[in-house]
Amino acid sequence: MELTLEQIIVPSEDIVARLIEDDLIIVPLVAGIGDADDELYTLNETGKAIWSLLDGEKTLGSIAEELSREFNAAPGEIEQDLLGLAGELLLRNIVVAR
Amino acid sequence: MRQLTTIDIKDFPLWEKMKEHRRLFSFDLEITARCNNHCHHCYINLPSGDREARAKELTAQEINDIADQSVALGAVWVLISGGEPLLRDDFEEIYLLLKRKGLLVSVYTNATLIRDEHIALFKKYPPLNIEVTIYGVTKETYERVSGRPGSYDAFMRGLNLLLEGGIKVRLKAMALRSNFHELPAMAAFGRYYTKDYFRFDFQLHFRFDRNEARNLDIKSERLTPDEIVALERGDDERFPVLVEGCNELINEEFSHVGCDHLFHCGLGNGGFNVSYDGKFRLCHSLWAAGTIYDLRQGTVREAWEKFVPKVRDMRSRRAEYLEKCRRCSIVNLCLWCPAHSDLETGELDSPIEYFCQVAHARSAAIQEADAARQEQA
Ligand SMILES: C[S@@+](CC[C@H](N)C(=O)[O-])C[C@H]1O[C@@H](n2cnc3c(N)ncnc32)[C@H](O)[C@@H]1O
Ligand code: SF4
Ligand code: SF4
Repeated sequence: MELTLEQIIVPSEDIVARLIEDDLIIVPLVAGIGDADDELYTLNETGKAIWSLLDGEKTLGSIAEELSREFNAAPGEIEQDLLGLAGELLLRNIVVAR
Repeated sequence: MRQLTTIDIKDFPLWEKMKEHRRLFSFDLEITARCNNHCHHCYINLPSGDREARAKELTAQEINDIADQSVALGAVWVLISGGEPLLRDDFEEIYLLLKRKGLLVSVYTNATLIRDEHIALFKKYPPLNIEVTIYGVTKETYERVSGRPGSYDAFMRGLNLLLEGGIKVRLKAMALRSNFHELPAMAAFGRYYTKDYFRFDFQLHFRFDRNEARNLDIKSERLTPDEIVALERGDDERFPVLVEGCNELINEEFSHVGCDHLFHCGLGNGGFNVSYDGKFRLCHSLWAAGTIYDLRQGTVREAWEKFVPKVRDMRSRRAEYLEKCRRCSIVNLCLWCPAHSDLETGELDSPIEYFCQVAHARSAAIQEADAARQEQA
């Protein structure tokens, strides 16, 4: 499924996200999240900033706006990055779209 | 730039951080000391119907609290062991509550109580691994060790369920006097199913409850140093690794001349162990007075931050220890450690003849093979 900027994504109930000493670690709870069952995921700094904004209310578009203000970057660039990450998270069932 | 990265547990970012400072990575929960088997060599098992032992077990709620506190300190991985953990009626509840905290969960089991419900649970909520011990590959041998008629069939049935269910199983075997004649067949069995992991354990330590009659049983199951060396030499996968690592294993720099610290292992560095009745220990073998913290009376944080450093700072004044084990260059090949010393002698710092003989025999075999290897090269 292609995501659009109007959509809202939220962390899936099938994962547990943990902040361990500044690292955001995503631990699959159920089978079928990663390619192997013992795979974990981590997000880089931008990914972490995005993750912290997934509050179930903000659309991807408003998250992009917020981030472009925060990082002083062109909205177009942020939108592309954001949709890329959101798509990958969705594909792996780490988030669900509303 | 990649924002989402897959990480293998081996490359966990915390490993690097652990080198910088002592931090919590994992903890072991012995959720029961009871077992349905009666293994002759076992350091922990109490009868499955032992009411007193059962009454003392941590409840699922208490385990939940301990897990919450451990997760808050950054724990990533938990091992559920026992006794036989599947004996507990609330095993599933405990397993799931640990998974739901974002912990990677491993389970040690004898596999005899595995049922379809467990397979469904592990399929939906995968464990990091289920580690099963092989005690024999024939009914006669298995049950000579386990002391329970019917246990071999139950083991085979449980193991098959796990394997057929595609659950991540690791097999290991305990090398004992009672199954010595069957070890090659056990190794072949283990390697057939879990090739990359299978290993033998052969060094037995004494009971946590200091039961003297049971300690004699354990002693009677120990292999001689020569048998252990022969076993190790015959291991085409592990022995070359030992020989390869000879210089790190046997190294004067590992001796700690002039230092009177008791513990020179990684004890309390990245993990701890909780007994069935809530006793926090720095290692599963450590039961000495002054090294146990009761979690029913305190918190994991206090145990981890205040109690662990105190234990790690314990010293010895025994000349025999300071002259011998404390400066021993082959200590890395030896099962001797303060915890095992205490279980065997009641003192944390008494050398133990049997462990010493085994370590020297192993060291001689490894050095001999290393010399032969160098000559060939
Ligand atoms: C205590 S058991 C608990 C899990 C499960 N019941 C099992 O047998 O695998 C954990 C491991 O400790 C081993 N073990 C038992 N008694 C031992 C002893 N005296 N010294 C060293 N290891 C021992 C067992 O063979 C088993 O591989
Ligand atoms: S199956 Fe495990 S816990 Fe049970 S008696 Fe044997 S070694 Fe001990
Ligand atoms: S028991 Fe012997 S081999 Fe083991 S640490 Fe002590 S001196 Fe070294």
